[in-house]
Amino acid sequence: MEFFFITGAGIISAIGNNKQETLSALQEQRSGIAPLRYLNTSHTEFPVGEVKLTNEEMMQLLGIPETEVTTRTSLMGMIAVREALLEAQLIAPLQNTKIALISGTTVGGMDKTEVYYLDFFEDNSKDAYIATHDCGSSTEMIADYFGIFSLVETISTACSSAANAIMLGAQLIRDGRADVVVAGGCESLTKFHLNGFNSLMILDREPCKPFDAHRAGLNLGEGAAYVVLESEECFSRRLRVKPAMTPLKPLALLSGYANTCDAFHQTASSSNGEGAYLAMTKALAAANLSPEEIDYINAHGTGTENNDLSEGIAIQRVFGEKIPPTSSTKSFTGHTTSAAGGLEAVISILALQHDFIPANLNFSTPMPELSFEPYTARHGGIDPQAPNLKHVLSNSFGFGGNGTALIFSVMNNEE
Amino acid sequence: MKKDIYILDAKQISVQSPLVDDWMDNPLSYQEPYIRAIDPDYKQYFEPNTVRRLGKILKRALLTSRQVMEATGISNPDAIITGTGLGCLENSELFLEALLRDGETLLKPTHFMQSTHNTIGSLIAIDAHCHGYNSTYVHKGISFESALLDAYMQLKNGQIQTALVGAHDEMTPKYFTWLQRIGYLGNTKDSFSGETAVSLMLGTTSVEVRCTLPLLCQIKGVEMLYVGARHALPLLPLQTMLTHLLEQAQCSLDEIDAVMIGANGLPTNDQIYTEVCRALFPNKKMLRYKHLFGESYTAPGLGAYAAATCLHQQCIPAHLFVNIDEKEQKKVKNILFYNQFENKNHTLILLSSCGK
Repeated sequence: MEFFFITGAGIISAIGNNKQETLSALQEQRSGIAPLRYLNTSHTEFPVGEVKLTNEEMMQLLGIPETEVTTRTSLMGMIAVREALLEAQLIAPLQNTKIALISGTTVGGMDKTEVYYLDFFEDNSKDAYIATHDCGSSTEMIADYFGIFSLVETISTACSSAANAIMLGAQLIRDGRADVVVAGGCESLTKFHLNGFNSLMILDREPCKPFDAHRAGLNLGEGAAYVVLESEECFSRRLRVKPAMTPLKPLALLSGYANTCDAFHQTASSSNGEGAYLAMTKALAAANLSPEEIDYINAHGTGTENNDLSEGIAIQRVFGEKIPPTSSTKSFTGHTTSAAGGLEAVISILALQHDFIPANLNFSTPMPELSFEPYTARHGGIDPQAPNLKHVLSNSFGFGGNGTALIFSVMNNEE
Repeated sequence: MKKDIYILDAKQISVQSPLVDDWMDNPLSYQEPYIRAIDPDYKQYFEPNTVRRLGKILKRALLTSRQVMEATGISNPDAIITGTGLGCLENSELFLEALLRDGETLLKPTHFMQSTHNTIGSLIAIDAHCHGYNSTYVHKGISFESALLDAYMQLKNGQIQTALVGAHDEMTPKYFTWLQRIGYLGNTKDSFSGETAVSLMLGTTSVEVRCTLPLLCQIKGVEMLYVGARHALPLLPLQTMLTHLLEQAQCSLDEIDAVMIGANGLPTNDQIYTEVCRALFPNKKMLRYKHLFGESYTAPGLGAYAAATCLHQQCIPAHLFVNIDEKEQKKVKNILFYNQFENKNHTLILLSSCGK
């Protein structure tokens, strides 16, 4: 398969409002999971990974007037997209360059809908939030803030939404429909899905423990993350047109991707991890890589009984005896659902760029069903600060069995 | 190698008679602004448990998908791609209302589990044991085209040979009044709100032989454009998009028999179509479909199905023409499908007859 240049990345989550803060938190093993502070819910027993900003503070950062109608989902999206575009030096419109925005979300404007729902019955005072309820609205609010996009789409495949957005981005470039694609996802916490996950009894009252024998569920999180994808040809053209850009270098490559379906259950994964197995296998084939060439797996690793077992077995099926260092960074960010694939793409890229393996926090007891344990600081063998990473696999699995695997690679590998 | 891409078959449940093409000869008309789809007797098709367990949108999606898989003999499509503007609205409302009414302690997961947009595509995959590509597009009035474009690209570049593309939206009474209040839906019988469930089976030339039915039509191109919030019509980028589409399809504007548009009886919406068509397709015959199916985010899915049916049957019934003086047209070669949403999103689909 051809590969795609990643020339910008932006991220906001519980561990930081940009890439630098995210990197520091990962390297210093500081989790962002904390007691509830921003979301108005009675479920204060659940720790969450909240973005440590109010909507008003985000609007101020973005220079958006207080009177403007926005949603938390779209504000986080704008912050992450802005960082990605600034890095790729694409913040202004570019002649003869088609730029697409592909965003994954499921919550959309539900953060406002659940607050104003009863007002909708009473009078028309909150009608502006009827129009921002659907998922597409959040993407258009982001697009209109920048005004540079000529193709805009929204994907919702639950917790694999952002990974599918990145995959579609590559497909659009491959098909010549876009020169540059900003792809990822955004999702704010809501009472709606916090209660939904609680009704499924898969929320942990403690910080989550992915791949631990005593794991007791996930912590929900929120955030947004996007990457800028472009073809090598487009990037070279941009350099020619604007030589001042020269310090700009691609951060990494997207070298493989695959989307599959577990086709087992709406809210549970199969015991043999068939969907996950197929996604990883197909992504490896697409990238023309053998399993041994993967140096790090950023697992979906939600911390639920079901996911970690199913994904762990799938990883064993793909990698056999030689399982690369594997961690779930949801122990830092919480499970940011539709944004997770974007967050973990950016984290994978940071790992490649700065050559380190993010740790799997809160792990103490290996799962008896698995032959491997997640990567923690106590691991010997590989120096976490110089593991010489070349290829990273990032897994995203969602409700309904929607699973997507992405492979990111270092630049010099393809040169 | 250039591949031809076909719509092999399509099945719909809408405000017209379900699962058949009766609207061609006997269109149903309505006098109210809010009409729900005509559901078939699901007990004839599903186990009692399934009938009880699944929400409306899911039953419709499952049945239209099963029927189109059965009819084409493609029981395991390579991809299942769904477009839905609002997803499982009814279950979302039920869960949210229980939450606001009963508080956060006594909630049951049933409605939540069926509230995410991708429940639809997953249900179809679980039902048919499809482990292939599965995705869901949720972008307002262009959700269907987004799904179609994904399938079209993958079929064209050989990643898949078959794709089940669905367009599904239900409309609840509450949401109807709210969308009416903000001007998206109308309040007259000429601008009524409908519901959409349509499943289309797409395939490349190589599966043509596997399909036991005559094909509906060929898809010669899909184009999408976002122009954002603006007041002026984006005539220049639209012209560029049209030229590109026709070039790619090796088709001239003269060969287009008619342009199908999403006029829905709301002046702000219809005026955009009128002005764009006057500039881009002067003197072309215009077709409509929302007078039959009503407005809904994924109504374009029903429009594409209607156009495909006309190409298949080689007949455009008189009632589809915007100009009421037009007579039924026999022999149809190409229909250009043009959709716009709030002048922010514009899409074009070129559909061609399979006949020589």
